[in-house]
Amino acid sequence: MTGAPYNYSYIFKYIIIGDMGVGKSCLLHQFTEKKFMADCPHTIGVEFGTRIMEVHGQKVKLQIWDTAGQERFRAVTRSYYRGAAGALMVYDITRRSTYNHLSSWLTDARNLTNPNTVIILIGNKADLEAQRDVTYEEAKQFAEENGLLFLEASAKTGENVEEAFLEAAQRIYQNIQDGSLDLNAAESGVQHKPTAPQGGRLNADSQPVKDGCSC
Amino acid sequence: MIPIACEGSIRPCPGPDVSVLRFNVCAPCPSTAAGGPHSPSLGLRNHHAIQDAARPSHVAINAISANMDSFARGRTAILKKQPSHMEAVHFGDLGHSSVNYQPQETRSRLSKTVDQVLRDNVALPHYTHFTELRGADHLVRFWLEAESFRSASWSRVRAHSLNSVKHSSLAEPVPVSADAPDPPQVAPHAASLAQSPPERRGSSGSETEPRPGTPGTETPSRQQTPSRTGTPSKGQSSSGLRELSDKLMKSIEKDAVSIFTKYISPDAVRPIPITEQIRNDIVAKICGEDGLVDPNCFVIAQSVVLSILEQQHFSEFLRSHHFCKYQIEVLTSGSVFLADILFCESALFYFSEYMEKEEAMNVLQFWLAADNFQNQLAAKKGQYDGQEAQNDAMILYDKYFSLQATNPLGFGDSVRMEIESNICREGGPLPDCFTTPLRQAWTTMEKVYMPGFLSSNLYYKYLSDLINSVRADEFITISGQGVAVAAADGDRSGSNVSESSQTQQSARKAAIKILKNFDEAITVDAASLDPESLYQRPYAGKMTFGKVNELGQFIREAEPEPDVKKSKGSMFSQAMKKWVQGNSDEAQEEMAWKIAKMIVTDVVHQGTQDSPGKTTKVPVLLQFPFAEVWASASRSSVLSVHSYDPHEEPKAWGTPRD
Repeated sequence: MTGAPYNYSYIFKYIIIGDMGVGKSCLLHQFTEKKFMADCPHTIGVEFGTRIMEVHGQKVKLQIWDTAGQERFRAVTRSYYRGAAGALMVYDITRRSTYNHLSSWLTDARNLTNPNTVIILIGNKADLEAQRDVTYEEAKQFAEENGLLFLEASAKTGENVEEAFLEAAQRIYQNIQDGSLDLNAAESGVQHKPTAPQGGRLNADSQPVKDGCSC
Repeated sequence: MIPIACEGSIRPCPGPDVSVLRFNVCAPCPSTAAGGPHSPSLGLRNHHAIQDAARPSHVAINAISANMDSFARGRTAILKKQPSHMEAVHFGDLGHSSVNYQPQETRSRLSKTVDQVLRDNVALPHYTHFTELRGADHLVRFWLEAESFRSASWSRVRAHSLNSVKHSSLAEPVPVSADAPDPPQVAPHAASLAQSPPERRGSSGSETEPRPGTPGTETPSRQQTPSRTGTPSKGQSSSGLRELSDKLMKSIEKDAVSIFTKYISPDAVRPIPITEQIRNDIVAKICGEDGLVDPNCFVIAQSVVLSILEQQHFSEFLRSHHFCKYQIEVLTSGSVFLADILFCESALFYFSEYMEKEEAMNVLQFWLAADNFQNQLAAKKGQYDGQEAQNDAMILYDKYFSLQATNPLGFGDSVRMEIESNICREGGPLPDCFTTPLRQAWTTMEKVYMPGFLSSNLYYKYLSDLINSVRADEFITISGQGVAVAAADGDRSGSNVSESSQTQQSARKAAIKILKNFDEAITVDAASLDPESLYQRPYAGKMTFGKVNELGQFIREAEPEPDVKKSKGSMFSQAMKKWVQGNSDEAQEEMAWKIAKMIVTDVVHQGTQDSPGKTTKVPVLLQFPFAEVWASASRSSVLSVHSYDPHEEPKAWGTPRD
């Protein structure tokens, strides 16, 4: 099989959901390419991008499914929610309507994903402070009420973008460690691969974290 | 096309539409031995015809064959020779496909709706078992019985009416007798019958004869029964026919009553939850005034039950190990369709990873996007904004087709021009505007990538994850006294900290911990289980592959037979061999470790079963030739398993024992 060698231990599946135009694709692009797409067309159906990051000393690949926000694609994108380990729910801080629609997105997310799926709320376009339409506090409260992580970010400047993906990943990892997420279950949204050091034994590649995660 | 004698080559099914061809391996033909003079040329002609019909995939294969690596090259050669010869038998476990790509191919056998499950012989037993555990199986049974009653009754009614028609055509025209059923009798059947005016019924026999299957025949059947007594009948066959009609009708009645008694009657042991009104309605339909039962009498109750099942007993089923078992069954059946993978999210997760490693993400991305686009357009049923659709389509065009495409896929000029004209169509693109490139992408994924995927580590991982889900869930479900706690530990990949504390607590209980780290171990409490019984299996023969001797060494009893190709699950042995031989040691260890876990869990489960006499359904694990895998893993001295003192410090599982 061609392709890069295994250099990550886990793959987490993410989905990005939210109203159209809030910046989901730009967030993804900023995260995977470290570039801001000023002029990106809207997403047709779904797209996905990947990136490897380090979580608690482990290399984790994120497989991120970016869904279309247009209402007409809602039915087709629903089929991608299932089996997601993490979900980024995005709204635009300069457009109140996108914030108001969150409950609908959240309902979908809760219904269609696992009970353990980590959902993080992202208030995008934080760079446009002058046009802010949703305060940090109220969004924070909404997140807390619903058990969501929360960050405001800007796909344009890159502020908090990595942190958003990382925080969700950390929470997922924690869930694996404390057992609430069985990473060997097929619908967990997590693939686990043994890292393959060159010629060594597995126990030589000891887990840096002492309360070792399942390896 | 006429099926002809051929020399073991493919024989196409005769059919007007050659674009969809099904191929059966030719059974030995009587004239094969003779090898008649016509055979070669006819065979060749057919071959060409098939090639022509298979043109899309043929083109795709030619286009990509140049880039394929040696693994696929052998298969390409076969494909090129007989491009449509896609029988799984020849390709082992490559999977199966149809030549004609249907854009509406949205069925994955791995993703089911409740209605599909109820009609699927493979999924149904798993679902029944699941509902049994929840005490809801009477709903499923009722639905099934009612459904089969309905279809059987209609065929019986038709048979009866055909007989009656036959009978009445021999008879003199029947006058509209005084005891003819009143028109209102037709009312309960209005939904399924065309209202026939009473006058027609008299001479309806001959009129309806040319339309045996239509509802109109129900009327004469109804007419015939009561007026039979008054009808002068001719011919000896009439009484025989009458008896048959009687029997048919009576059998319908009997079945209806039986279902009613079992499920509907308030006195039933486990009545289904329906309202009084529905119940009365059913009673009315069974005890029709004309003495005949309405075959559709249970339909309303069926739909009530179906929605209960859907709302209360389905989403959990999809998350349960029962569904996993079903999926495993499908995936190891020897033929996996690309549709199964692409339309099932969990399989798609793994397939996407595979495609990314193969650097073919673009193909998949395009397929996903274009398919989604077409689906949402088709769902609108013509009521969509053409401009919007055109904009969407243009986005795809710019990305994948245009000469300045950001993600070019290498579609030829002809395809590009076709897309251009489809998009620029007056009124906007149609929901099938991307069908041609979609078909090519589909075929590429199917022929080029799926075979590799199905033999890949990733696929194996997906299957073992499915199995693990089954194991974990079942473990919890069947857990007895102390096993419950340990099982809860066991299926967690939890931290050592929590596990060690649990270990102390559960040391005295039948602690069976399945652990993942090499510092941990498979602990078997010898007090509760006879160690010997772990490795004795009632299913001897191929599944008895070894014993553990007093030194704790694993003695293999059955030599693996690598030359024997098993039709079921051979993919595993091949994949495992390839995997085991090809990878580094700890990967082997890890895999053998996993297998050891699975087998021990499974076997211990069996060991804790109360009644040895009960016919236990062979756990799905045992259906795999893990014996082979185990044997090959053991052969490389990677792992040996022995039972030992739970308190003894486990050491160095990483070092092979000899």
